[in-house]
Parts: sequence; C-alpha cells; structure tokens
Amino acid sequence: MATLNVVSICGSLRKGSFNAMVQRLLPSLAPDGMSIKPAPSFADFPLYNADIQNSTGFPAPVNTLADAIRAADGVIFCTPEYNFSIPGGLKNAIDWVSRLQNQPFAGKPVALQSAAPGPVGGARVQYDLRKAMMFLDAFTLNKPEIFIGNSASKFDEKTGELKDETTRGLIKQQLAAFATFIARVAAKS
Amino acid sequence: MADRQLDVLVICGSLRKGSYNAALARTLPALAPAGMKLRPAPPFETFPIYNFDIQNSSGFPADVNTWADAIRSADGVIIVSPEYNWSIPGGLKNAIDWVSRMKEQPFKDKPVALQSAAGGILGGSRMQYHLRQSLTSVDVILFGRPEVIVTFAPQKFDEKTLELKDETAIGMIKQQLAEFEKFIRRVSPKE
Repeated sequence: MATLNVVSICGSLRKGSFNAMVQRLLPSLAPDGMSIKPAPSFADFPLYNADIQNSTGFPAPVNTLADAIRAADGVIFCTPEYNFSIPGGLKNAIDWVSRLQNQPFAGKPVALQSAAPGPVGGARVQYDLRKAMMFLDAFTLNKPEIFIGNSASKFDEKTGELKDETTRGLIKQQLAAFATFIARVAAKS
Repeated sequence: MADRQLDVLVICGSLRKGSYNAALARTLPALAPAGMKLRPAPPFETFPIYNFDIQNSSGFPADVNTWADAIRSADGVIIVSPEYNWSIPGGLKNAIDWVSRMKEQPFKDKPVALQSAAGGILGGSRMQYHLRQSLTSVDVILFGRPEVIVTFAPQKFDEKTLELKDETAIGMIKQQLAEFEKFIRRVSPKE
C-alpha cells in the first residue's frame, strides 16, 4: 500500500504549546507507511466574514490550508481546550474552509488529540470538534481517544519531549488505529 | 439598581453587513422594557487570533481592552449569534477566548442572555448550547428562559429592509427582554 499522507493541525498558536509538542512528536510514533506533516498555519486568517468571501474571495492562506487538507489522506487535530470548547482561532479556520466548494473535510478521515493542564485533558474540545466535523461530513475516528491530562507533568518543558510512556503508547495505538480506519473508509477506487 | 435603568450590551456574532443576527440585534432596543437600555458592543472584528505569546510580549490588544471594558461596565450582556458548523462562530469564540485571559475577567458574574437566528429548523440552537458551555467556563450568570431562537430566518425578516416581521418572534423577544430585566435585578450584587 502507498504511504498514507496525514496532516496535523495544532489548535494553539503559542510557541511553548503542549499541543504543538504533541504535534511535533507524531512522526516518531506513526506506524510504518504513515507520514505526518504539520498543516499550513491559520494564524493569519481574518475572522470569518461572508462579505470578505463575496467581495475579494477566499484569502490565500485559507486556500493553502484547504488544499493541504484535500491532498491529505487524513487529518489529526492536536488542540487545547479554551473555555470548555474549541479555540476560537481553530474554529475560525474550520468556518472559513467550510464555505469552500469542494469542502475539504467532506469524506476526510479525522483523528483528535488534546493536551491540557487539568484532569479532563481537553475532552470538551474534542466532543465539540466531533460535532463540527460531523456537520462537515468528515469521518472521525472513535477510539482510542487521546486526552493528555495534567500535561505540565508529562512533558519536559525545555525539550518538549513527552516523558510519559503510557501516553506515548496510547498515541502509537491511536495512529495505528487511524491507519486502519483510513484504509477502511477510503473511497473505493 | 432597584429603580435605575439597566445598561445592557448587545454582542453580535456575525460580521457580515446583511446578517440576520445583526438585524435581530438592531430590533432589540425597540422591544426592550422601559427599565432597560441597550447598546451595541464595540467590534471584535480586528482582534488577532488568540495567541498567548502576543498577550505575553505586547499585552492585550487595545480593541480587546475596549471590548472588555464595555462588558465590565454593563449590567448585562445579550449575545445574538448565528451558528457556524453546528457551533459557535470562530470569531466570536476568539473574542471570548481573549477576554477570558484577563485579570478582572469581564464576564465573571455577568448576567448573559442568548439569541440566535438561522435559516434552518433549529434556529442556531446548537450554537446556543455550546455557548452556554463556554460561558459557564467564564463564570457568567446565564439566563435560562424564554429562549429566543429564530428559525427559518429568511421568511421572518423583510428581504430589503431586514426588519423583523414575524409577530411570534417579536413577542418572544419582548418576553425575554422583560424577563432578563427582572433576572439582572435579581442576581445583581445586593447594595
């Protein structure tokens, strides 16, 4: 089977983000045959406004992100939870691409991961993201779920290394399950 | 507070000019009880996407502070918003994310009521329930009922003037505003 090309989208923009650390770690935990690369950034997207879309069209970075999603065999979100839900910036990125023809998430396999300092590990962001992804007709992987709670104790804050072996094992399992899932839901050729 | 007119801020979740929710927000002052004065919130359109590194290096952007001050100074807040992809519009959520990081967090203990208009049969209710969840995180005092959910919006607003024509919706809004006034007076700090 050809290599699976997966893109990862980090919901946080800050440099020291735990979720960015998770995102950087993924390639080393991926199964054989799966390549994971970071998606182009949504940091420069304006806030969604249909008047912009109608007057000047979709901003270039929106198209760039959408193209990367379309070209990928699957998408992994690594995101923090902000105020019990999806970070506004990440939701704004989803809102932008959702308005495109050939909507990039349609039929796309998606897996979710979150890291957060609290005990819940970002569960609420994941359940809200699942709803938005369902609306967009993505295929979202059910299990295993990755909730990295008490994240501050699990990462080396300087090197960004994930020290927690249980979590590393779980991520490996999820990525392997995601490879199987992608193969299963892929359009029959 | 017992007898003075309440000052209530109205936040619209959509940025587009022809927005049904902006139209809904504009109808509120005419439907408010005498004891409540409504004013539109300053825009959040120019907020950058939240990034802790910005906050940490150059502080909160000026327009974030302006928005937060407007919320702090109000007796209550009404959020009128569309639903995007079964949830909160990213731009509105981004605004909430910014001010949630402030000391003297502006939503804390603030009475908040919700309204939404949408083209479909659910009228933005999924957005409202997600918003309730997020606003719980920022410790508002959420107003429960009556809910204002304007379904099939294109049929209920005048196509040209965007005036709300639907009598049922108008009645529901009047009721909510009247109840929200009582609610704010009830939950406000005892003097």
